[in-house]
Amino acid sequence: MQDLEHALADIHLIRHQVARGTQFRGYGPGSIAVTGLAALAVAWGESLWAGHGSHDLAVNLMIWLSTATASLLLSGIDTWRRARRVHVDLAQEMLQAAAEQFIPALAVGALLTVVLVRMAPGEGWLLPGLWEIIFSLGIFASCRFLPRSMFAVGLWYLAAGLCSLMVGSGPKVFLPWTMGVPFGVGQLLVAAVLKICVDQHSEGA
Amino acid sequence: MTALVTHSHGLTFNELKNLCALTDGNLNRHLQVLEEAKLVVSSKVSDKQRRQTCCRITALGRKRYVDYLAVLAQVLKDAKAREEGKATVKGARTATE
Repeated sequence: MQDLEHALADIHLIRHQVARGTQFRGYGPGSIAVTGLAALAVAWGESLWAGHGSHDLAVNLMIWLSTATASLLLSGIDTWRRARRVHVDLAQEMLQAAAEQFIPALAVGALLTVVLVRMAPGEGWLLPGLWEIIFSLGIFASCRFLPRSMFAVGLWYLAAGLCSLMVGSGPKVFLPWTMGVPFGVGQLLVAAVLKICVDQHSEGA
Repeated sequence: MTALVTHSHGLTFNELKNLCALTDGNLNRHLQVLEEAKLVVSSKVSDKQRRQTCCRITALGRKRYVDYLAVLAQVLKDAKAREEGKATVKGARTATE
């Protein structure tokens, strides 16, 4: 009986190693592009409504956290469905590996938001830049698993985050475009990289 | 195959030989069979002015290997369930006696 359990544990380990050496093709370019367009649309809507930025951090948080939640749900469901279709037998291991690489960044972003809002609500203008920098770390962590050009998208988010901090430091208000442009363009870049990768893979198959 | 499937960028002939603890001739024969089945591809690469053979697993090879693991896991699970069933019956008989 112990031999059987040992053999099953070995197979489980090999499957995890195979999953870690396989490029993840679960992220869907379509749903990622929609999240980018949503970021641009929300920023446009908010800039019409709040002009050059709102001082009300609670309103900004509500708008952008709702957008982020909807985007995460959409891309999460699409990723789960695609991974099951593309990776078939390895889907569970691949999804687990993808989550292990990206979820820490999301968790850090969420915890940082809670601490900043509670301890320094007047510094809410820092959030867009910090979120973008943390998002870039999530992308860098996932790069090993994704097409190589995804590294450039990580650089985009890092540069955008730093620029958002520089731009926001003047008026010290939460500027809608410091969220909309980095995440809108960034997600469209992610979608483009994924689309090119899907096309290349289908040509190679 | 396990060594190749866990190194997606491929392994040189010597690395593979050391990992599998095989002789040159033996490994060559294995690779020849796997290449004929289109499960593995080998190419010549130049490294430090030396030409080496690099072996990589193909998409088909990866798929077939994962399928094989799934079948193997299922066989082991069935065997484990049968062993557990036998142990339960034996336990029940002992209790009755």
